[in-house]
Amino acid sequence: MSTNQSTLSQLIAALGLDTDNEWPHVVRERLVAYGLLGLYVFVIWFPIYFIFITSIKPSGAVLDIPISFLPTQPTVSNYVEIFQNRPFELYTLNSLIVASTTTIICVTLGTVTGYSFSRYDFVGNKALLLSIVGARMIPPIALIVPFFTIMSNPPLIGGLTGSLYDTRIALILTYTFFNLPFAVWIMKNYFDGVPESLDEQARIDGCSRWEGFVKIILPMAKPGIAATAILAFIFSWNEFVFALVLTSSEQAQTLPIAVSLFVADDFVDWAHLAAGGMIAALPGILFGLFFQQYIVSGLTQGAVKE
Amino acid sequence: MSTEKQSLRRTLDRLFVPLTVGPTMLWIAAVIVYPTLQLFWSSVFWTNPINGQREFVGLRNFKRLVFAEEGGAFLGLAPDFVSITWHTVVYVGLSVSISFALGLGIALLLDKDLKGRGWFRTAVIVPWILPYVMSGLMWRWMFQSEYGAINGLLTQSGLLSSKIAFFSDGTLAMMALIIADIWVFTPFIIIILLAGLQNVPEQLYDAAEVDGAGRISRFVNVTYPFLKPSILVALTIRIIFDIRALDLVWVMTQGGPGKSTEVWASWLYRTAQVFNRPGEGAALGVVLLAVTFMIVAVLYNVFGESPY
Repeated sequence: MSTNQSTLSQLIAALGLDTDNEWPHVVRERLVAYGLLGLYVFVIWFPIYFIFITSIKPSGAVLDIPISFLPTQPTVSNYVEIFQNRPFELYTLNSLIVASTTTIICVTLGTVTGYSFSRYDFVGNKALLLSIVGARMIPPIALIVPFFTIMSNPPLIGGLTGSLYDTRIALILTYTFFNLPFAVWIMKNYFDGVPESLDEQARIDGCSRWEGFVKIILPMAKPGIAATAILAFIFSWNEFVFALVLTSSEQAQTLPIAVSLFVADDFVDWAHLAAGGMIAALPGILFGLFFQQYIVSGLTQGAVKE
Repeated sequence: MSTEKQSLRRTLDRLFVPLTVGPTMLWIAAVIVYPTLQLFWSSVFWTNPINGQREFVGLRNFKRLVFAEEGGAFLGLAPDFVSITWHTVVYVGLSVSISFALGLGIALLLDKDLKGRGWFRTAVIVPWILPYVMSGLMWRWMFQSEYGAINGLLTQSGLLSSKIAFFSDGTLAMMALIIADIWVFTPFIIIILLAGLQNVPEQLYDAAEVDGAGRISRFVNVTYPFLKPSILVALTIRIIFDIRALDLVWVMTQGGPGKSTEVWASWLYRTAQVFNRPGEGAALGVVLLAVTFMIVAVLYNVFGESPY
């Protein structure tokens, strides 16, 4: 009993409810807030929990009635089998190559261009920036017809390489279309927050524009670059529609497609689908748990007005 | 330093802006401007599915999507166009409004000075970062008619005696889609609104409290004016992203049962890729593009703010 009481008082202290000098209504409000937030988190995590335990049930036990909500006989066999029976290592590799290449291109171009947009009032600055805002609003799905046509028969390099259909290059080029304007925009907003006096100091110290940018400004911009990179990676990693339109075999198909392939016309292989889904979800969950502040700051930078 | 080297430095400095902005603009021209022009171009052609020959048809693709005609006789709006537009309005309208209300509530709770709110924030954001395909299939599994968790909870707890076939009924299938959509996108609203709430000066709350302002009055008079730009951004992005979203619909219902959950995005995909009618698919793309820009214009007018 006394241990119970001490755990309770520890909990009360941990939640900051033990303050004598605060009004009772403040304490009550906090309790209500904890209750509501706790309920919300429980409800939204329940499906994730359910698909996770589905992935570690023996594949036959997934269709047991009554449904068990606890992992009876946990096993990793579903995870092993999707790599044995399907080319999941290739899907994973495709996802990694496509997402990281897209990220590198978008972060590099977005950083240098965002910096110039932030610092220099060159001819066409406003118009170009406006076109970048406009480009962000184009619904990607509207462009599936032109992208399918262009990738099947690329205009400039068509004679040299032939079709880009079902290649990772097609996906990378396509994914830069919605990530590059976003990257420029985030980085421009980020550089707007880096004091211009730093540039001036660099010039006074005899740095050229390039040296000042690389040596002084870039190190200051690391958090912005990290936020842009994480978001571009997640967006590319999760992308489904263009992967569906532009790929047809494991030489280019990514994990979202691989997961959707567990759905056949009349039968869904839920246990293996759940395992594949968990693998596809892993980077997102890890980024969310460990780099949450970058995701938040990137989204906020990307959303604010000029 | 030699003079040649110095003049090289000066030249490179003069070229700083062209060299940093130029490549990006060329890239954007190649992967955005060119495909967009191609979209408009494709929308006025009809491709023969047998021999692949293209024929200029003007605005016929648009007309065929929107109007019902038979033998040249005008029969009014096409039933598919009307019903699919209605589904899109229901889907986007309900998803956005419910997730906005929910997101605002959670953001206000997370804005309080609570211990452990960092943990809550992390826990709340995760659904948005997962691949939409995985989220859609996860919800399809949750709502599955025999072995899904929701039917399991309802029947095993004794609330229901028989299981519900969610995806065999148009209304229930739409409801399942909307729930999945709210689950995926509410975190986005929370993030944007929570950032906006940081702009509200703490002293104003205290002053309002001293004046005896109630909870609602405090929100309307203190919070809302500072939060307005964030609300606008959250709503705009949420709406235009929902109109274009195919992922959830495609993996959960494929527009079914029948056509009861077909929305513009799935209609576009089906027309262009499944039925192999690129001309009409492109025409739908043009319409979607126009609608998106119209929605943005209307929203910014309603809120009385300049988008740039």
